[in-house]
Amino acid sequence: MAAQLYKTESGRLFHAGAIAIITVGLPARGKTHTARSLLRYLRWLGVSTQVFHLGDYRRQVVGEKVSWDFFHPDNQATMALRKTILECALADLLAFFHTGGQVGIFDAANTTDERRKQLQERLEHEHVQVQSICDKEDIINANIRSVKISSPDYLGWNEEKALEDFKHRIENHMPFYQTINDPALSYVKMFNAGEHMVFNNINGYLQTRIVYYMMNLHISPRVIYFARNGESLNEQMDRADADLSPAGHRYAEHLKDFLLQRRAERQEETGESPRRLQVWTSPRRRSFNSACHFEFPVQVRQRAQLIEINPGDCDGMTKDEIRAKYPDEWANYQQDSYRYRFPRAESYHDLAVRVEPVILELEREKDDVLFIAHLSVLRLLYAYLMGIQEKDVLSINIPRDTLIEIIPSAYRYKETRMIIPGVKRE
Amino acid sequence: MVGLPARGKTFIAQKVGRYLQWVGVNTRVFNVGEYRREQCGAHQLHNFFDPENPEGKRKRQEAASAAMDDLLHWITNEEGTAVAIYDATNSTQERRRWILERCRTYQARAQLQVMFIESVCEDEEVVMENIRAVKLQSPDYAGVDPEAAARDFRERIRHYESSYEPVQERDLTYIRLVNVRSQVVVNLIRGYLQSRVVYYLMNLHVSRRCIFFSRHGESMFNVEGKIGGDSLLSPRGEQYANALPQLIKDNLGSENLTVWTSTMRRTIQTASKLPYPKLQWKALDELNAGEKYPEDYANRDDDKFNYRYRGGESYRDVVLRLEPVMMELERQHNILIIGHQAILRCIYAYFMNLPRDELPYIRVPLHTVIRLAPKAYGCEETRFRVNIEAVDTHRPKPQAG
Repeated sequence: MAAQLYKTESGRLFHAGAIAIITVGLPARGKTHTARSLLRYLRWLGVSTQVFHLGDYRRQVVGEKVSWDFFHPDNQATMALRKTILECALADLLAFFHTGGQVGIFDAANTTDERRKQLQERLEHEHVQVQSICDKEDIINANIRSVKISSPDYLGWNEEKALEDFKHRIENHMPFYQTINDPALSYVKMFNAGEHMVFNNINGYLQTRIVYYMMNLHISPRVIYFARNGESLNEQMDRADADLSPAGHRYAEHLKDFLLQRRAERQEETGESPRRLQVWTSPRRRSFNSACHFEFPVQVRQRAQLIEINPGDCDGMTKDEIRAKYPDEWANYQQDSYRYRFPRAESYHDLAVRVEPVILELEREKDDVLFIAHLSVLRLLYAYLMGIQEKDVLSINIPRDTLIEIIPSAYRYKETRMIIPGVKRE
Repeated sequence: MVGLPARGKTFIAQKVGRYLQWVGVNTRVFNVGEYRREQCGAHQLHNFFDPENPEGKRKRQEAASAAMDDLLHWITNEEGTAVAIYDATNSTQERRRWILERCRTYQARAQLQVMFIESVCEDEEVVMENIRAVKLQSPDYAGVDPEAAARDFRERIRHYESSYEPVQERDLTYIRLVNVRSQVVVNLIRGYLQSRVVYYLMNLHVSRRCIFFSRHGESMFNVEGKIGGDSLLSPRGEQYANALPQLIKDNLGSENLTVWTSTMRRTIQTASKLPYPKLQWKALDELNAGEKYPEDYANRDDDKFNYRYRGGESYRDVVLRLEPVMMELERQHNILIIGHQAILRCIYAYFMNLPRDELPYIRVPLHTVIRLAPKAYGCEETRFRVNIEAVDTHRPKPQAG
């Protein structure tokens, strides 16, 4: 279970207090990747979460163009500036907690005991330190190339020059780097992108949840696709569990052809080593039959968590009929469409709780995954991946003739929408 | 499993086994101690476990081998995903290499992943408590004076301590639990199932507690013989709701308790008189019977666990949606669940380790409170029947033929 059970008076969830997460580690160890992923997940759960990235504050104060020796801990000339930058970030973090924020992530190197002690003294909240450690050169280099060189700091730089400059930055930290070793602290150590992990004094529901999530993260390249179910013989009634219509069957074929072709093209373009494809559907006929044309080695899995939102007593009714029959319910629904539950129905929020285990499994999956599912389910999964706020989930548009391709990266995921050829537009 | 004696290995093995079995993975625990008792008899004193005792050493190796033979034979013949838990001390690197080698060279099954779960306890008090609570009840010490037995068992631990090597081989998949998860170390965890086991272990606790559960009071639909719906309580159901607070108080005393209900009116109404904090769970709502088709009842009896009502749910679906509830239940202390027949059957099956074909026929009568107290090998069950009449909604399993 994950989406919140109940709100407490403070507005914070899970009866957990505020938690400050402090990242620790040399540059290019995946701190930002972890911070951004956590941000996406916790916000999706409804936890008010914010990342405070020290690099952003530095850019605000001194601009993009700084040479590597700016970061040298012994550089007296820049010391006062660096202190100012830290204070700006800390002030924002504290203000965030004072205005009801629950999880604040302080994304910086924080490589010395002294710095971490300083932070602990200033933060009166529970804190968890997350240390990323990496001694594999290839992971570090891939990280520098994919994340750092595309950062505003290196806009317009030659790639090899940028790489070299960044490595100087890392070397600067090396002599001062101290690993966390106080057994009284709450901390997580991640070695080589999760190969080996140590959890110390992790307590409470939300902390355990966060740690479990981190355990499932990986950084290998992959692609996620979304497509709607084909048209069924009874579109009005969920309970009827009707089979595909002739148009639905044609859609299923077009979808398969188009997706396989798209994958072949991408494979050629990127030169990435080939990955397997899995198709995840719901156990409703209109869903799994839309995947029936995929053949070995594509693996099709039916998952009960992906069943359409339960319409309850409103099943088979149009919006006008619902409004006429349940005027009070309708009014409440207008107030909070995400959380409101019609008689015997599920709200989107209930659905999010149900779908959550699939999200963890998706994070862990290294194969590419195509979801063929119902609109409500696709909206929630999309909202998770693209960081869409709760209030906007019901406006997410996923047309029935469209294949959505999502490619994960450290910051915002890249989305491409494609019309499936041969499918009639709505 | 890895760890010195009396570190809770068997408790963990049993819990993980029950959890996996419940989520649908065939799981069996192979306890080397049982093989040893069978081959050499119980009542072995501590010198049997002395590494310098060649006779004891040989016999213990025989027991380990026999258990491993059975394990490999079993897992090879299981269909689909299966998990075997090898419950023994496995406290040296040499022994762990031997396990890997056996699993690797057993040809019949291509992919056998090996994961080690080590339980470490540095608190002498906790170890002593475990010896008193579990070991002294074991057949090894039947009829022995408890003081003498405790002394002997501590000697047995000493024999293992001299050669104990904690798991730290970087090429192995493992999880180490130190002092009831105050520190957890994981290494090379692969795949979803392994990560679920890790998460499950991170939520376990060993404090004493009780889980109470009860169905809602008799509802109007129960009286009318209907299923589904969201009806209110019958007058007798209301009487039950009024009687509940005293019954709970008599059997719980002044301890803390949290009440969980579904979002359906009959459970909320049943809990309404209870003076404890309450939470509603959508996931505890009754099995959704979907659309009614006449052929449903007949088909459903063929395989009630997997039978999914058209547009509705099967017991299998319910187990899936309850899984997060069970995880939270493991984290909590005293809990009272006011629920529904199908839901409580699934929860009961989890704690009592009942197989799936029996699950849909478990008897959970109305107006009865069930109390489960978790112990090392399972749960101690008590039932409190409230003397208020109610209809019987149980349909027995039809006889074959």
